[in-house]
Amino acid sequence: MVRKQIEIAEGIVRADYEYWVGKYMDKFYEGLESQKFIGIKCPTCNKVYFPPRKVCGDCFKTIPLEDANLVDLATTGTLINFTATNYAVSERRKKKSEKTTIIGLIKIDGSDTAIITPVLETQESDINIGMKVEVVWDKKPVGSPDDIKGFKPAGGT
Amino acid sequence: MGKKLSAKSPATKPVVKQEMKQKPARQQATQASKKEGTMERVGIVGYCQIKPSLDLQMDRYEAAFKAVRGALDSANLKRKDLTSVISATNDYYDGRTISNCFTVEPSGSYLKDESKVEMDGAYAVLYGMMRVLSGNHKLVAVWGGSMASGFPYEVTTLLTTDPTFDRTKELLNIMTAGGFQMRAYMEKFGISAEDIANIAVKNRKNAANNEFALPESQDADITVEKVLESGVLSSPVTELMYSRPCDGMACVLLAPEKQALKITNSPVWITGVGYSQEQYYLGERDLSKSLSMENAAKMAFKTAGITNPKKEIDVAELFEHFAHEELILSNAIGISEPGSQSEIPVNPSGGAMSGNVLCATGLVRIIECAKQIKNEAKDHQISGAKRALASGQIGFCAQNNILYVLEGGEK
Repeated sequence: MVRKQIEIAEGIVRADYEYWVGKYMDKFYEGLESQKFIGIKCPTCNKVYFPPRKVCGDCFKTIPLEDANLVDLATTGTLINFTATNYAVSERRKKKSEKTTIIGLIKIDGSDTAIITPVLETQESDINIGMKVEVVWDKKPVGSPDDIKGFKPAGGT
Repeated sequence: MGKKLSAKSPATKPVVKQEMKQKPARQQATQASKKEGTMERVGIVGYCQIKPSLDLQMDRYEAAFKAVRGALDSANLKRKDLTSVISATNDYYDGRTISNCFTVEPSGSYLKDESKVEMDGAYAVLYGMMRVLSGNHKLVAVWGGSMASGFPYEVTTLLTTDPTFDRTKELLNIMTAGGFQMRAYMEKFGISAEDIANIAVKNRKNAANNEFALPESQDADITVEKVLESGVLSSPVTELMYSRPCDGMACVLLAPEKQALKITNSPVWITGVGYSQEQYYLGERDLSKSLSMENAAKMAFKTAGITNPKKEIDVAELFEHFAHEELILSNAIGISEPGSQSEIPVNPSGGAMSGNVLCATGLVRIIECAKQIKNEAKDHQISGAKRALASGQIGFCAQNNILYVLEGGEK
């Protein structure tokens, strides 16, 4: 029907944004470039944030960006939760893809917060909460979020 | 100069304060409240729901107009009676900034006190209550809704993530967050997927008795197997455990106690409200429970003078974005034990599962409670319902929760 066509107007605006990651996340990305995980420890409560955070919400205080508070973390961790989907997270949900993405909440050894990252080189039926995992680096880290390809079960598969 | 000013103000301030306290109007209002020490009652005096649909074939303005006009008609009131209009819409959902500026005429808000909440309509009711309790407003329309047929809801939720890391990974949206939450709850309390599917079965059967339910959500013959086999959304959540977004609008009218009793003989009173939110990052939260709802419930029950919700509440309408959230929220409110279903009826309308109209779902929960209290819920009426709970939420894994206590219209 013609009616349907005149009812719909396509949006034509394109608005790209740039976010300044800030000095704290800059340390994080610097670390990734040399295949290191850098977290930050709140000097008041000793909570370790990874990625580093400027404010400790629990203490409601700024964590000073000083070497003494920056922590070199292991590149291994524990899977604390996971989900798997065949839908693209950044596209309108219309049809399922063949590819299943396993997404994990992973607590890096030595940190108190968990990050959200793909779980690779395994199947959903083979993973469980509490299992140890290790990082899978991109071949050429450049200091970007994509340097972390994901995590895989520790000890090699 | 500076010294002069600071010397003057302390001498005059306390006097002004004392005078304010002794104002007779304030005393009168306190006496009119049900009990000393509780909140002044705000009355719901009218409401209207546009029946949700996957494609309403109606533009936003027409739908907003129908909701506000319908609410005014339900109370035999006119636009001139409105003093304030509060809306709940979302710029991303509506595809433009300051989305309320386009609804000025259809919502009847031009040349009125007008504002917007970029959250669920249940939060707009809190804002509306503040306008009423300020003493400046006699009638506030609170409306909200969206047209899910016109925007990719799941994608807009990715846009709420931290742009400096999480957003770039494109892994977290409302579906995957729901997957984490359901698994956390199952692990913590040893719950099976069947237990959670049971909630979806209950709500979809209830929806079949609700004339305002999304037709696609109604299923009188649904089984646990059907829910479990409906396809994985984000494991362990399946399609039928998800409260699917749809098109719709809703509106309620709020008035101060005295005015409410002039408008109707049977207002529904808001006697308690509580609101709280949790940390932003999922990696720092215990997803197996809802601390924000625990806080909200404590606050709401304290205001309403409720000590034993299991005994004192007749029905609850909770905003469950997923089946498992109904269990988590009931538990946080204190109407169920961890891992079990509620001991009082929850979501006789079918809850959010009967039509998840984003920005109106919580508002509709309030309307559903008002219907129960006024004995207007027809086929899903809980007989003798006098006191009800309605909740709204927003954020990943119900990060923010708001809870209302609503009561019947005895003077």
